[in-house]
Amino acid sequence: MAAFDGIIQGFAVVLTIKGLAFCFIGVLLGTLVGVLPGIGPAAAISLLLPTTFRTDPASSMIMLAGLYYGVMYGGSTTSILVNIPGEAASVVTCFDGYQMARQGRAGPALGIAALGSFFAGTVGVIGLMFLAPLLASFALLFGAPEYFSLMVMSMTLVTYLSRGSQLKALMMAALGLILGSIGLDAVTAKPRFTYDILVLRDGIGIVPVVMGLFGITEILLNVGATMDREILKSKITHLLPTRKDWQDSAMPIARGSLLGFFLGVLPGLGPVIATFLSYGMEKRLSKHPEKFGTGAIEGVAGPEACNNAVASGNFVPMLSLGIPANAVMAMLLGALAIYGIQPGPLLIKEHPQIFWGLIASMYVGNVMLLILNLPLIPLWVQVLKIPYGILYPVILLFCLIGSYSLNNNIGDVIIMWFFGVFGFLMKKFQFEPAPLVLALVLGPMLEDNLRQSLIISQGNFSIFISRPLSVAFLVVSASALLFPLLSLRPRLRETTE
Amino acid sequence: MITTDRWTGLFFILFSLYVCFESWRLGVGSFFRPGAGFFPFYSSALLGVLSLILGFLTCRGKAEKADPWTDLGNTVTVSLALLGFALLLTWLGFVVTTFLFSIFLLRAVERRGWLLAAGAAFFISAAFYVVFGLWLRAQLPAGILGR
Repeated sequence: MAAFDGIIQGFAVVLTIKGLAFCFIGVLLGTLVGVLPGIGPAAAISLLLPTTFRTDPASSMIMLAGLYYGVMYGGSTTSILVNIPGEAASVVTCFDGYQMARQGRAGPALGIAALGSFFAGTVGVIGLMFLAPLLASFALLFGAPEYFSLMVMSMTLVTYLSRGSQLKALMMAALGLILGSIGLDAVTAKPRFTYDILVLRDGIGIVPVVMGLFGITEILLNVGATMDREILKSKITHLLPTRKDWQDSAMPIARGSLLGFFLGVLPGLGPVIATFLSYGMEKRLSKHPEKFGTGAIEGVAGPEACNNAVASGNFVPMLSLGIPANAVMAMLLGALAIYGIQPGPLLIKEHPQIFWGLIASMYVGNVMLLILNLPLIPLWVQVLKIPYGILYPVILLFCLIGSYSLNNNIGDVIIMWFFGVFGFLMKKFQFEPAPLVLALVLGPMLEDNLRQSLIISQGNFSIFISRPLSVAFLVVSASALLFPLLSLRPRLRETTE
Repeated sequence: MITTDRWTGLFFILFSLYVCFESWRLGVGSFFRPGAGFFPFYSSALLGVLSLILGFLTCRGKAEKADPWTDLGNTVTVSLALLGFALLLTWLGFVVTTFLFSIFLLRAVERRGWLLAAGAAFFISAAFYVVFGLWLRAQLPAGILGR
């Protein structure tokens, strides 16, 4: 019953002119970002963040969250029409979506992607509505050792599931922990690695780092590459899928929704791997697996539902435990921190208007996206025609202004520039940035809980293995580290490829 | 693993040694009473060990050849333009710096004609000023135009 009371309270927040306007702007910008290749949700949220400082936290979160799940809707458009995924979660949609478009079935492909996304988004929000409060009340039992072990688990899972070498992902996580310790020490107030630079005294801000690693790096990587965008010229008709399309897609959408939501709840898992798993599952369950890759509608329906459900699932650990599931959630965590709000088990109790307002806005946002997406497809096609040469200076300017506006300080711009160049080099050397970002966010909390645990136990590390929950988290972490040694990780990756 | 990993491994080993040294100076403390350098010390030790493993595996195993770095000129130009923007923003002000930044990228990287580059740069800087400066009231530096 508490959930229903809460959701009514949430609708009271979102069903106002202000709430609806912020939700609309968020989902519209999210779709635009999803359509545009070369800018992902993390960078887009970091660009939008400084513009939200003048509003209240609930409206700000409604807009930023709308942007995240809006990206999942928009990403399918470029995958289907141009064969270029607007963002990483839509890579799989290219396989069959573009083939459908080439066969003159772009309409049903776009239609099923939008309708499947709507269904999955709604399922995900219902799951979030019931699971997050449950997990939050459970998390009230956590002490410092449990939190420490949970964060260790979160980071090891990110490295386990990241693309490329796990060893390199672990290195990035360790680097993130070091970077997270820059600034004044929370206990002794001693400056650490600040070198008398004022901007470093409060630590390295998550926003300029993410802007650099995701926004600037993407542009530095793309500015040298040629982007071949052959946009489908035939007119897009019959957006509503046929009865046969529905029959083929209903179960993949249902399976993708459930798989996506539960994978999204796991700390460390973003939508990319989940969509590959969904595609692999649909191919394995299909009576005609040979049709996959040639324009099978199931290959669009399952993964598209899955990436939207992941987006909802990702909010569960962030809102209930204060643990971000990926870089985007880390950004939202950073956004709440700017308002002095700490996500975690007490969020629902202390800031119900934010928690329930956010959930209610996701219902409203999904409806807005469904209404918006299909009629606006011709507009998105026009957007795709903007030459990248004109587009990227504009994106760079957004990054520059965004980082400057954080504190009206050039230091943040320099940090963003540094991490942009660093991210470019790391990409070239095949290091992934996501573990670094997560460790940078979790680092201070991890240190805090480690210190508290050691002080409680008088320096005895057995405190982490004498509590059942902490042991459980550490066992999962150890498994994530040991599986690759037992060659289990390559097998997992093969199934997704 | 790629061939360049031995060099990145070496870089991170040196970096971790430096952080370990600095953390030691801050005071590592004990397990019972961790000092300010405790957490960065053990984090950098972890990075050092992982980097050693990376270097070891790359030297021993079969490392693939790294992808060639093509068209690096444009990447360097864009990153220098970004740094230039950061350094000039306070002195020249937002509008002038944005105009120069846009025209530079459109001319030097995109090889557009002067007229198109100037027109687009003017439009971009005006649009950004209207949206951020006037509408969102961001505190953008006025620079030489404000004197």
